[in-house]
Amino acid sequence: MSPPGEPAELEVAGTPASRLAAYIRGGGVVVPLLTVTLAFLVGGLVVLLTGNDPIATYRAIFEGTGLQWLFPWVTGDDRTTAALNLQQTLIITTPLILVGLAVAFAFRAGLFNIGGQGQYIVGTIAAVWVGSSFEGMPGFLHIVLALVAACAAGAFWAGIAGFLKATVGANEVISTIMLNYIALWIGVYLFSLGGPLQNDRDPNLPVSNEVVESAHLPVFWGDPVLQGLHVGLFIALAAVVVFWLLLNRSTIGYEVRAVGFNPEAARYGGMSVAKNYVLVMAICGLFAGLAGALNVLGWQFRIATNDISASEIGFMGIAVALLGRNTAAGVVASALLFGALQSGTSQRNLDPSIFEPDLASNLTLIIQGLVVLIVSADVLVLGVLRRGRGLVRRRGRPRPTPAPEGEA
Amino acid sequence: MSPRQLGWLGIGLGVVAWYVTLPPLLVRTPLPSLVLAVAAVAAGVAATRGEDRRVGRGAIAAGLLGGIGAIVATRSGVGNLEKVFVWSALFAAMLRFATPLLFAALGGLMSERSGVINVGLEGMMLMGAFFGIFGADMFGSWVLGALAGIAAGGVLALVHAVFSIALRADQVVSGVAVNLLALGITGYVFVAHYGDQGTPGEVPRAPDVTLPGIKEIPFVGEVIGEVNLLTWVALLLVPLLALYLFRTPGGLRLRSVGEKPRAADSVGIPVLRTRYLAVIASGCLAGLGGVYLSVALVGSFNQGMTAGRGFIALAVVIFGAWRPFGALAGACLFGFSSAVAQRLPAFSESLAVLFQALPYVLVLIVVAGLIGRSRPPAAIGVPYVKE
Amino acid sequence: MSAEAPALELRGITKRFGPVVANDGIDFDLRPGEVHALLGENGAGKSTLMSILYGLYSPDEGEILVNGERVEVDSPSTAIELGVGMVHQHFMLVPVMSVTENIVLGNEPRRGALLDVRQGAREVRELSERYGLAVDPEALIEDVTVGTQQRVEILKTLYRDARILVLDEPTAVLTAQESAELFEVLRTLRDDGVAIVFISHKLGEVLEIADRVTVLRRGKKVDTVPAEGATEQSLARLMVGRDVLLRVEKSETAPGAPVLEVEDLHVRDDRGLEAVRGVSLEVRAGEIVALAGVDGNGQQELVEAIAGLRDADSGRVAIAGENVSGRGVRATVEAGVAHIAEDRQRRGLVLDFTLAENLALREYRSPPLSRRGWLNTGRINARARDLLEEYDVRGGGAGTLAASLSGGNQQKVCIAREIASNPRLLIAHQPTRGLDVGAIEFVHQRLVTERDQGRGILLVSLESDEVRSLADRILVIYEGRIVGEFPPDASEEELGVAMTGGTGRAAA
Repeated sequence: MSPPGEPAELEVAGTPASRLAAYIRGGGVVVPLLTVTLAFLVGGLVVLLTGNDPIATYRAIFEGTGLQWLFPWVTGDDRTTAALNLQQTLIITTPLILVGLAVAFAFRAGLFNIGGQGQYIVGTIAAVWVGSSFEGMPGFLHIVLALVAACAAGAFWAGIAGFLKATVGANEVISTIMLNYIALWIGVYLFSLGGPLQNDRDPNLPVSNEVVESAHLPVFWGDPVLQGLHVGLFIALAAVVVFWLLLNRSTIGYEVRAVGFNPEAARYGGMSVAKNYVLVMAICGLFAGLAGALNVLGWQFRIATNDISASEIGFMGIAVALLGRNTAAGVVASALLFGALQSGTSQRNLDPSIFEPDLASNLTLIIQGLVVLIVSADVLVLGVLRRGRGLVRRRGRPRPTPAPEGEA
Repeated sequence: MSPRQLGWLGIGLGVVAWYVTLPPLLVRTPLPSLVLAVAAVAAGVAATRGEDRRVGRGAIAAGLLGGIGAIVATRSGVGNLEKVFVWSALFAAMLRFATPLLFAALGGLMSERSGVINVGLEGMMLMGAFFGIFGADMFGSWVLGALAGIAAGGVLALVHAVFSIALRADQVVSGVAVNLLALGITGYVFVAHYGDQGTPGEVPRAPDVTLPGIKEIPFVGEVIGEVNLLTWVALLLVPLLALYLFRTPGGLRLRSVGEKPRAADSVGIPVLRTRYLAVIASGCLAGLGGVYLSVALVGSFNQGMTAGRGFIALAVVIFGAWRPFGALAGACLFGFSSAVAQRLPAFSESLAVLFQALPYVLVLIVVAGLIGRSRPPAAIGVPYVKE
Repeated sequence: MSAEAPALELRGITKRFGPVVANDGIDFDLRPGEVHALLGENGAGKSTLMSILYGLYSPDEGEILVNGERVEVDSPSTAIELGVGMVHQHFMLVPVMSVTENIVLGNEPRRGALLDVRQGAREVRELSERYGLAVDPEALIEDVTVGTQQRVEILKTLYRDARILVLDEPTAVLTAQESAELFEVLRTLRDDGVAIVFISHKLGEVLEIADRVTVLRRGKKVDTVPAEGATEQSLARLMVGRDVLLRVEKSETAPGAPVLEVEDLHVRDDRGLEAVRGVSLEVRAGEIVALAGVDGNGQQELVEAIAGLRDADSGRVAIAGENVSGRGVRATVEAGVAHIAEDRQRRGLVLDFTLAENLALREYRSPPLSRRGWLNTGRINARARDLLEEYDVRGGGAGTLAASLSGGNQQKVCIAREIASNPRLLIAHQPTRGLDVGAIEFVHQRLVTERDQGRGILLVSLESDEVRSLADRILVIYEGRIVGEFPPDASEEELGVAMTGGTGRAAA
């Protein structure tokens, strides 16, 4: 009795990591730019269809991001406002970098981490708990302790999904999604009326205790009272370096990539694929948990139950990672893009006379969806690109020889 | 007794272990329940040793949960128990919670049987929920609204289909993308059209069906005597879909495409077209699930109102081993857990919040416990490329 | 020449894939009631030609005539309508469905809107009785033998009234007994007037079953000859273009101490069935021991158990006297085992890794390639450059992706990596599968060289030629047991009998 032949289709797909690697090789920086442009064009179309001026809208959003601060000709009051807005943009970018890393690291290992949201939530819970306790602890130590607690919480939470995959083969897509909702309801429970971590002062408010002063991250640009930019940005950038080193220079990263590309060959090479799943997910959770901590210790300082259910940062991480092609530098760039988009469309920064912020935040979602969609169709984008190059070549030379087919 | 029967016996024992401690029996000591629970686990272990590990594991889980449930119940006040465990109300609520899951799960089943993972069910439901009520409001008719919702789900599914079938995108990534799109699109149109007011209060809604003869029967009448029309539609779809999948040429072809597309192709079955149709059908069904939420159950729309039901539906598909009746069982299980969670505030306000997580925990346990044994369609997630 | 028009005629068929000409102006004709063999090496263009006939590819030039009429075959459906049936090398069956469901798929008997399974089963039973193709209509495909699956494939074509039957390497997956049964069926069909194309590269069976033989070489038709009067020698010369002699130069061996001892090993396969049933064997330093057998007789599981990739139920594996049973891959590697995996693309290499990264796959954890968990990329690259040069890997450097190399060069990378780990025992699992002649020679030479350096080599192969030319001792495995030990000068027949369950000369 021998089993029927292997399905011949297997070779077509490859692991997600392997597809994405082909994508990275195929497009350079042009493809992501093309992707973003296309997404914004379609987004503009939506704006146009609903009777608004897309150019004015995008312009207002851009002004809301504060990125014009980088232009030397912007001066005076404009520059002051721009600085304030840019601080907001970077505050939002900081956690986005980290949740992007959380998704990207999993992708590189051939796993889907749709659970950045849940890992982020448990990170915020741990950070707010540590940050609001231990009053009188020296500041630096307090911050470190809160950060470590948040990382550990995130790692543990994601590790559950890795463990279930490693031991019983539970699909990580479904388990991480479920862990998102479980984390959400645990969070809501903890800080809700009568919940165990509800604040001590006002029993009618479903919020946590305030993070004590000693655990606040120092602000290095702008006014701490007006939500200036905190040093969390540097922590996130350091995490990017760690991500790169871990992936490209450590034996762990080597194993992660090998398992991601070809688990069977990795197994033949003596690696434990199961152990790798747990490790990878834990590292992902660590990044996402850290994101939560930086938000809590950097500017939120407390958690309200509403914030927990309204946050969609984990899903944005997917868009960040995919657009950034799961590379360190790419994640930073696309986090900045989405961070800018989010702050540019926020109630605080967007001029409501031009475009309603409520609409704009949904526009952000649409653009994100389009980005992920276009990135998912690597074949499409690479095909367009290849055809584009063909056009260029045709213009250059009168009779082109047919380019050999196959992956670039 | 076959291992399979033994497993089912174990599941039964686990349920009974919990049941005896609840109204109306209300046994106030956990001892008999614990004996039953241990027996259930033992039966489960024995069944697992044999061929049928799925049912065996189910029995072990039922035994453990039954035991824990019994201990919790015997420690709780009788008054509270009687408030929560009004069986007829629980089962009626179960049907309400199960209906949207069932629609979406039947949709997911169609799509996955053809070989396409549909993580986008959540977004397709959301589309159905919004455009269902939007249509009902516009046209002044819930039927037209329902059609609009179905179409909206189908259109989103078409996007997923084009990307995952024609463009060979990764199906999970494409699914995540259409979810984001649905959130954005529904939110955008909702805000643009209704602004801060929300959907109007007097939108035409899908009617309940009153069964005159049955409504008077105690218990049965209270559960199914007055049920929404769409719930009946969902229940009716279960045997129809089962018939289609397993007893018609079309169903045979659909399954062959999901199992071994190259074999289907070699006998002239259009693989890509079959997948397109299946994915679109799945979007329409999920859309109808969303329609039920907004047009039948709640009567309004709020942003992101599907709250992960589409993802639970995915787990329901796995739980039901890609079979319609299995999906029905799964939808009822999760529907029941939601129904219990909904009635728990009788115990404690804040604990009730925590119990909102119950269905998701259950999904996690189910996916962890069962996935090893239930076998998905072989070609799932693999784009098909002609030679 | 009979007056009757040929059932099938291909005229001047040309098919190009980019710069490669797979079929170059091929003529081929097939009469009703004959078996016409299509003979050629791998890559000679046999499968391409038949894919064109079956509508899977469209030809760049040439025409197809069925029963004397010109036809356009643009899809398998058209081919089926024209009465062409194809039994693919990889079966086109749905494992979880029944025999009947597989046969009627796409052409289902109906009663109203419903599928009439009973009617289908009845038709299947009738067909199977008429042509002596014994199958159980209700059985699931995944539960029946490969031989039965092939019968289902043939029934599928007959159910669609095929009068032209194409079989692509049908015996590759069959035991000798099953092959004999297949030939019986083919004769029945031929006598019934069915025209049969029999694709193969095995000379013996072509002579046994065919009426005429068309030989392809490098995309071109060499000749069509009657089977009667042809010999294996004459066909081989047509097929390869020169006289063939596949022998490896090697000296006498003086085996040393045992490097591998396997005692009474029992191993299960992925489905939980016992695949290795009490195997004991020994490989000594400086000898090549070949494990010969038909595919799927427990070789995969045995190799995995020895290499530490799969836990054994019971039994013992010792490397140079050190017991490594159940200690996992790393301990086994450290004890001195290297393993050239059976499927280099799936198991031997990470295709998306560079060659340098692939070459580090065995030793990345230890100095000098890494220290305290951090890779020394400089050393990894330098070592890769040395190995690539030593093993004459062409088509890329240390930074090239493994995916972009040819099969032969990929295999060289695998071999380089395994030998570089300086093993006591080298397991070579089908090391020449899918390679061209030049690469095969390289691999064979290298294995002999390593033997002469005092390594023990366990060669697992399905090719009896390879086994006989390389091995110092031959062990035959059948249904998970070693059923015989042979010297390298054993005849093909002796081995063949043992490999299909006959009694060996010196049963172990």
